[in-house]
Amino acid sequence: MLANLDLGVIVSSLPYLFGQGMVFTVTLTALAATMGVVLGTLLAILRLSGIPGVWHLAKGYVELMRSLPLVLVIFWFYFLVPYIGAWATGSPTPIQVGAFASALITFTMFEAAFFAEIMRAGIQSIPKGQTAAALALGMTRAQVMRTVVLPQAFRNMMPLLLTQTIILFQDTSLVYVLSLTDFLGAASKVAQRDGRLVEMYLFAAVVYFLICFMASALVRRLHSRVAIVR
Amino acid sequence: MTSTPIPAPDAPEPHSGPDPALADEGLAKGPLIPPSKAASGEPMIAIDGVSKWYGAFQVLTDCTTRVSKGEVVVVCGPSGSGKSTLIKCVNALEPFQKGQISVDGTKVKDRSTNLPKLRSRVGMVFQHFELFPHLSITDNLTIAQRKVLGRSGEDAKRRGLDLLARVGLSAHAEKFPGQLSGGQQQRVAIARALAMNPVVMLFDEPTSALDPEMVGEVLDVMVELARDGMTMMVVTHEMGFARKVADRVIFMDRGEIVEDATKDDFFGQPRSPRAQQFLSKILSH
Repeated sequence: MLANLDLGVIVSSLPYLFGQGMVFTVTLTALAATMGVVLGTLLAILRLSGIPGVWHLAKGYVELMRSLPLVLVIFWFYFLVPYIGAWATGSPTPIQVGAFASALITFTMFEAAFFAEIMRAGIQSIPKGQTAAALALGMTRAQVMRTVVLPQAFRNMMPLLLTQTIILFQDTSLVYVLSLTDFLGAASKVAQRDGRLVEMYLFAAVVYFLICFMASALVRRLHSRVAIVR
Repeated sequence: MTSTPIPAPDAPEPHSGPDPALADEGLAKGPLIPPSKAASGEPMIAIDGVSKWYGAFQVLTDCTTRVSKGEVVVVCGPSGSGKSTLIKCVNALEPFQKGQISVDGTKVKDRSTNLPKLRSRVGMVFQHFELFPHLSITDNLTIAQRKVLGRSGEDAKRRGLDLLARVGLSAHAEKFPGQLSGGQQQRVAIARALAMNPVVMLFDEPTSALDPEMVGEVLDVMVELARDGMTMMVVTHEMGFARKVADRVIFMDRGEIVEDATKDDFFGQPRSPRAQQFLSKILSH
């Protein structure tokens, strides 16, 4: 079987696979990870705030997202967001949300739940004495969070945040359910068109493996470099 | 201004132990204490009938005392006697349920009190230093000056480096806390607190987490500060420090102030049996 492999189909489709597919995958991963970390940090702070109602809400959100399959959430947002948008803006017809925007919102909100748990652990890992010292210097709670707790939490949790982003990079392939063409989707299209399923899916697997393997190795190296000396 | 200048001592205190490995520059001189509302001899800290509970457990019972401007008060007592809790009530790091504390005329337990502003005038030094490990020594010294007092980066740095020189650590400005020894970190922590121009300094067992050979360098800085006329409330087991610079000694046991006496009275003839017992234990070796 392997003797029949046609590697030429891979070479000829490279511009399409990377120029469109991989660019989409990386764009979606980068945007969703950035926005997810911001939203996740906010959720973590709310959950740790101890404000009745607020922390319950944050906890409920995180638990809900972590308990649902990602594909379900993708569908859910794709079909619901237009109606929620219409309701929020008072429009009589569903708001047109492109598949990309819908996917981006979904991944951001889904990943935020996971980032929130990482950031919660990060914030809790900072000794209470750090907060006490910053408060004693006259900082407000918000200043303590911004200048003392979060910078340390981010640095301590950077390896976990990046590892979660690598998982997100793989998960973005699920956008095929919205007929979006990411890297895997592009490979799949070529495979169907040319009848070269084995070559294309093998190649896609190799590319995902190499990227994620190298990224993980980089994270490990980074880990030893950013660790804060106490 | 009602504050009176305090003359600097003629000769620097000899170091209580040699520290050749550290090779620090020694303590520089200069005015440290900002003006306050209280005149010399008037109470800078007034603690009135303070009681505190953790749930049903009472940790402080009706504590009352005064710390006058320029006075150095040492708080001692066995572990769990509430001494750390009491000084943490002074800058509201610990809430208390009953009584009142005033610092330079400002009530600590009052809804209208701007707590960050009050705390910025009360320096605090912690047992475990609590320098910010992700920031350089210079940034540790300047961050609160900039964020809280709104000083420019330049002014804050000048003030920070000035104080760093005073604690004899100028050479370490660009290092990070993890690169310094415990004693050096604690001296930076003292400089960080002083950079805010506090009218009073609180010390919460500042030498308890230090290796024995580093205790001396930290106490030297504190003795210097006391001689400069800083109002200080110091929780410590260092009776040598108390003998040298304390005006008064407060002895606490089980959340109560058992003895509140001048240094000479306390060390000469403690009235309560519990204080006598404590002293004989701590001074016998």
